[in-house]
Amino acid sequence: MLILIAAHFLVAALLPAVAARWGRAAFVVATLPPAAALVTAVSWSATVLNGAPPTESLSWAPTIGLDLTLRLDPLALLMIVLVSGVGALVFVYYAAYTPPEGIGRHSALLVVFAGSMFGLVTADDVFSLYVFWEFTTVCSFLLVGGLGLTRAARRSATQALLVTGFGGLAMLLGLILLGTAAGTFRISAIVAYPPSGAVVEVAVVLLLVGALTKSAQVPFHPWLPAAMVAPTPVSAYLHAAAMVKAGVYLVARFAPGFADLPAWWIPLVVLGSWTMVLGGVRALREHDLKKLLAFGTVSQLGFLIVLLGVGEHVAAVAGATMVLAHGLFKSALFLAVGVIDKRTGTRDVRELSGLGARWPAFTGFVVLAAASMAGAPPLLGFVGKEAAFEALLGEPFVLAVLVLGSALTVAYSLRFLIGAFGSKPGVSLVDSEKPGAVLAGPVVIPALAGLVLAFAPGVVEPVIAGYASAYPVAEPYGLALWHGFTVPLLLSAVVLGGGYLVHRFATGHPGRLPEALHAQTGYDRVVMALDSVARGVTGRLQAGSVPVYLGVILVVAVVVPGAGLLAGLTPLPRTQWFDSWLQVPLAVAVLVAAGLAVLARRRLTAVLVTGVIGYGIAALFLVDGGPDLALAQFLVESLTLVVFVFVLRRMPTRFTEERRPLTEGRWVKAVVACVAGTFVAVLAVLFSANRDGLPEASVEYIQRAKEDAGASNVVNAIIVDFRAFDTVGEIAVLAVAATGAASLILASQRARRKADR
Amino acid sequence: MSILVALPVLLPLLAAALSLVFNTFPRVQRVLGVLVLSAIVVDAAVLLAHVDRAGPVVLRMGGYGPPIGITLVADRLSALLLLVSAIVTLAVLVFSIGQRITDYGRDTASNTFHPMYLVLCAGVALCYVTGDLFTLFVGFEIMLSASYVLITRRTTAQRVRAGMTYVIVSLTSSLLFITMIALVYAATGTVNLADLADKVAALPPGIRTSLGLFTVVVFGIKAALVPLHFWLPDSYPTAPAPVTAVFAGLLTKVGVYALIRTQTLIFTSEAIWTLLLVTALLTMLVGALGALAQNDINRMMSFLLVSHIGYMLFGLALYTEIGLTGVILYVVHHITVQASLFLVGGLITRHTGTVSLRAMSGVATAYPLVAVLFAISALSLAGVPPFSGFVAKIALLRAGAESATFTAYLVTGGAVLTSLLSLYAVTKIWVGAFWGEARPPYEDPDPTDEVTVGTGNTSRGMVTATGALVAAGVAIAVFAGPLAGVSGRAANDLIDGKSYREAVLGAAR
Repeated sequence: MLILIAAHFLVAALLPAVAARWGRAAFVVATLPPAAALVTAVSWSATVLNGAPPTESLSWAPTIGLDLTLRLDPLALLMIVLVSGVGALVFVYYAAYTPPEGIGRHSALLVVFAGSMFGLVTADDVFSLYVFWEFTTVCSFLLVGGLGLTRAARRSATQALLVTGFGGLAMLLGLILLGTAAGTFRISAIVAYPPSGAVVEVAVVLLLVGALTKSAQVPFHPWLPAAMVAPTPVSAYLHAAAMVKAGVYLVARFAPGFADLPAWWIPLVVLGSWTMVLGGVRALREHDLKKLLAFGTVSQLGFLIVLLGVGEHVAAVAGATMVLAHGLFKSALFLAVGVIDKRTGTRDVRELSGLGARWPAFTGFVVLAAASMAGAPPLLGFVGKEAAFEALLGEPFVLAVLVLGSALTVAYSLRFLIGAFGSKPGVSLVDSEKPGAVLAGPVVIPALAGLVLAFAPGVVEPVIAGYASAYPVAEPYGLALWHGFTVPLLLSAVVLGGGYLVHRFATGHPGRLPEALHAQTGYDRVVMALDSVARGVTGRLQAGSVPVYLGVILVVAVVVPGAGLLAGLTPLPRTQWFDSWLQVPLAVAVLVAAGLAVLARRRLTAVLVTGVIGYGIAALFLVDGGPDLALAQFLVESLTLVVFVFVLRRMPTRFTEERRPLTEGRWVKAVVACVAGTFVAVLAVLFSANRDGLPEASVEYIQRAKEDAGASNVVNAIIVDFRAFDTVGEIAVLAVAATGAASLILASQRARRKADR
Repeated sequence: MSILVALPVLLPLLAAALSLVFNTFPRVQRVLGVLVLSAIVVDAAVLLAHVDRAGPVVLRMGGYGPPIGITLVADRLSALLLLVSAIVTLAVLVFSIGQRITDYGRDTASNTFHPMYLVLCAGVALCYVTGDLFTLFVGFEIMLSASYVLITRRTTAQRVRAGMTYVIVSLTSSLLFITMIALVYAATGTVNLADLADKVAALPPGIRTSLGLFTVVVFGIKAALVPLHFWLPDSYPTAPAPVTAVFAGLLTKVGVYALIRTQTLIFTSEAIWTLLLVTALLTMLVGALGALAQNDINRMMSFLLVSHIGYMLFGLALYTEIGLTGVILYVVHHITVQASLFLVGGLITRHTGTVSLRAMSGVATAYPLVAVLFAISALSLAGVPPFSGFVAKIALLRAGAESATFTAYLVTGGAVLTSLLSLYAVTKIWVGAFWGEARPPYEDPDPTDEVTVGTGNTSRGMVTATGALVAAGVAIAVFAGPLAGVSGRAANDLIDGKSYREAVLGAAR
């Protein structure tokens, strides 16, 4: 299986080159990987059905639990038939359908997508599942958007990405929570021994968000109709047969473990039924055949979600059958729309007329597919629907909603057929060339398969039963066209009759259909709100003013460590204000000079009083018994003063010409500065009082300065010997500063010369 | 073996001096820079292999041990970051050389670029390998002073002013840093990190916590944690693309590294972890929302940078082995991917002549290669599988789920939301820049400005360097197995702390 996925990606990598050389033939090459996948999977079906699913594993990053594990069980097999089978058909069709440009890009993306879907349905660990899940999201974005030439394409692609990306991330979180609770990230193990607890309920809801977004359920569904801007074969494959089934697949995969949880089945049943009805109603209002089918897909996906979500044997049989049936008839119908669009140049039911008479054979096959969609006998859709009604006989409310939804399905199936192929008064008959074998074949094959499988359900029944065996069997249910005169048969008749009436009513009173809730507006509002929150927050925080930034930094630097100090309730140490009387005048001088430095309006005054601070501190060092340190401080201070004086010659005398008023802002700044300074002073006192005597390092420095460094000045010994490496670094800093200053001066001279010229 | 620890600092410093001397021989400067940085890549790789096998390597400068001398230490974390940073600096240097040749020709020498760039590399390396708080300060100073020159050189007065925001905030953080060192020394009498680990543990809880929080604030400014991040989006986008790339890739990560080192080795306090957890959430969300509000591609990516610092903080704050593994993976991933994104951003702005997303259009049609490079980097940043960001994100999310406290769940949810917002932000760039009809570049408004846009031409060097860096990012994902292995062992070292302390102080202590 790993090799099959790798083959998909490898072929995809080669396709742009193939397309550049041989054009449309690239799609023939593209057909190979999904065809190989289909054949291989089917050839393994005996092993799969014997209850020994083949498993393959590839280690990725075991330290953090990332592995690639694949497992081919009956559900996976069923999905592969759809994913790879329909994929191969669509690729053949695409070769005839596509315009000559963009073949390389499209074929490569489609094959990547096919490989990802194969991986998605066979993945047996949550991370592999997510990896392939997101692959399909990205592929969908790129295929829907194309080159982003129209606004509609850009918008729809972004919407599909954001909605399914949101769901994917929610699902990832849910999967991780589930796996953490279960102690394993293997899906088969999680489902076999489902964990429980409050966290698991949250995880399950998150998981369902993923499923509901991907399968376009209320209220996330509008992305799917919007994605119909993609080329029709892309819609047929991604947005009808394969990708949108991923959500349904997820539900089917996890339902055996979690269907008993209310957090699982309530949202699925409620939203699924709602979606089924809403999609059906919206499909009746559409004039574009593609959009009509898209809403039909939304509706059918709701149906599937309900069937597979309730977690019961017969419902699972029905769900699995309907998944297969839907994949077959919906891909046939989409591809048929593509044929009509390509040949006639329109998909609007108001412009198409008389096609049925022009293309009778083609129309016949499309009718087969649409009838399967409507659940009419003798087709696979009917077989599935019978099973569904049988399964839900005990749930009259859900059953009623599904019957209503099915009637709507019949109605829009009629609308589709009449819209596409009927003759309408007042519309000129379409006169178009018949589709060739390559275009028609991919429509005919799945449509016929729906008929054949209805008569011979035994072909697929073992696979379907294999999946449904995850649930206890109360009474074995066999798929068949005829179960005798049963309630489901009656319901099917009601559905067909009711659907016909609904269609008549809808055609007669197009304005009387209920205006469906516009979820698209919901999406637009959310995105707009997000953008405006982003602008609001950022506009308020990002002031663009250096004083504000510095103020915030200082406040944080006081508040955060201060809170830590208070929380620790450090007692104030007993300490004396000064050791020697000399310290008092020196300290006063330093403080006064600091105050003056702030108030000074002339630059020179400010520099001079700053010097006073430095000399004062040096004198304090001296009084404290550190002549080495004092000497260093005196030297640094003097040198700085000299440099400053040189620089000041080139600058204006005063900081500001006018005396600035003491505004509120300046008061705030003054308070922040004073508090920060005082805070540091308090910390210094507190922290140094914590220790008695000289630190170990100081003692050693003084002891070893003479003998090890040959220096009588400890500061010198530290700078040039004990910690000479720091000095090397600081010299580098000085050199850099000099270079930087020189470069700025040169730049300003250059600019001035340029200005003079 | 121990000399390998010092070479990543000493070689570029020496080379910087030589480069300054040979400032009229552009070819010598170029060859020198590439050779030295390549040598460091090799050095770091050998060091990493050795350290992973045989434990930390310690070099006592001048033979003086703690507490009086300076110790350089390379453990798994240092060596790994050294290697990744060396690769990124090399790629960015090649990009820069390519860009300079395109803009000024082969024969234009540079007084400042090459020497300053090498000094910057030395500073970054010093921060990783030092085992001494004061030398860490020196490393920061070396790195920052070089960055001041790089951000203000050869540019317009307006950009110099924007650069001054960066300089002033950085100087303030340096001032706080040196204050912090003074306080640490006042309380403990040592600045050696391993020594501090023992001595800080003996301090009264109030002093211990407030010192720990002070270091968080100091390094938090450099790492751009919300609300200490404001300077970053205002200043980084004003520099030329390669400079921004290396700033964004490395400088903030040095702050993150310093946070990881000090908080795991020395402070490890429950109160600090809780504060960091909340800060992580704020940083992720404020950064991501900031990104969504931008129209300037470079500003948007700068906000994304802030946002993703939150992820690293998140894993650190959980302080579990898998959390720290995630952090280390995330740092490695982010250094590479953020740098490559800014390089791609440089290619985009040269082709379009503008930084405004609304004004640009159709790059995917005109330059498909740039589109591929961007797509890989952007998806990786947004954590979309199978790229490196995904691997790192999985480790972090698992760590959050395993910690199983309410705050941990909350921040894990925030991380997932941030992922979505990041995806939205990079989608905005994709839709704005890459889709639509291709158009000719807008004209360069000021050709003397180093931040050249709209010339429309790129050289093979620029594209190759970007491609190589993107490939390095992909390699992180491909070799996630061994990488996560090393990261896991490094995380274990951090939590254990014994191997580091014993290597520096000797087993007896």
